[in-house]
Amino acid sequence: MEIHVDKDACVGCGLCVKDCPMHVYELQDNVSVAVRPNNCMGCLSCHEICPAQALEHRGIYAARRHYIDIKVCEMLRKVI
Amino acid sequence: MSAGYIDELHEAFHSDLVYRPEDIPLDCSPKPKDLEQTLHGVMKLNGLVIRSLEEIAGRGANAVTYRAGKKFGHEVAKYFQKREDVEGALHELSDLLRGQYSFEVWKPEDKETFIIEENGETFIYLVFHDCIVRQTLRRNGLDQGGPLCQTLFGYVVGAIEEITGRKAKLEIVHTGPNACLKKLILK
Ligand code: SF4
Ligand code: SF4
Repeated sequence: MEIHVDKDACVGCGLCVKDCPMHVYELQDNVSVAVRPNNCMGCLSCHEICPAQALEHRGIYAARRHYIDIKVCEMLRKVI
Repeated sequence: MSAGYIDELHEAFHSDLVYRPEDIPLDCSPKPKDLEQTLHGVMKLNGLVIRSLEEIAGRGANAVTYRAGKKFGHEVAKYFQKREDVEGALHELSDLLRGQYSFEVWKPEDKETFIIEENGETFIYLVFHDCIVRQTLRRNGLDQGGPLCQTLFGYVVGAIEEITGRKAKLEIVHTGPNACLKKLILK
């Protein structure tokens, strides 16, 4: 698993550090660093909690997302 | 009601299909796109049932759903080969759950084996990737870890008990939008 933190986007809030159950991140000089990427089990809670959308995971299994309502998305795409 | 509308309805429900009782369907006739609305309906309904059950039964809801899941697990696994090794049982279980749930056996970096002994407990970490419960909860904006998750817990425990004859327990370690980490405790 490769985890990339966008250093320019990260605001150093530390939410990913607190939220990750596998203690993958550490704050170093006010920026999050993935110090234990091999401990990541791909839950993506950190993506959901990061206010800056600064995180990127490579080599992750993306779970099925049938709950997405395509009709609503199509409507939103027209508006946004 | 206008005659035009009634004719339209008749038209919609009429086909030239010859249907024989001995026909065994080899594929699912509606296209995945057509199934989408049905799926959303089922997810919505399940979410509402669970929400109502929680409102009425409070914490007791978990016990009901866990029990239902466990019965289901025992029932389904009854037809599977009995075996003592947990590894083999988990393999059977993943076949059993295919299409609804997918999981893998997982371990943190610092552990040498998948069967972990810690604080007097023997357990295996399972990462659940695909999960119909998670999808239903997210479709309804409900929290993970509640009564609907208990159905899966019961299901896994029931199936493992049925296949191995050993008592087991499943605990949530973490729930996430893309995967959940669970601990299968062996007794
Ligand atoms: S995906 Fe989950 S386990 Fe991996 S770094 Fe993010 S919060 Fe931690
Ligand atoms: S949650 Fe996002 S912004 Fe906050 S420290 Fe982590 S990466 Fe940086």
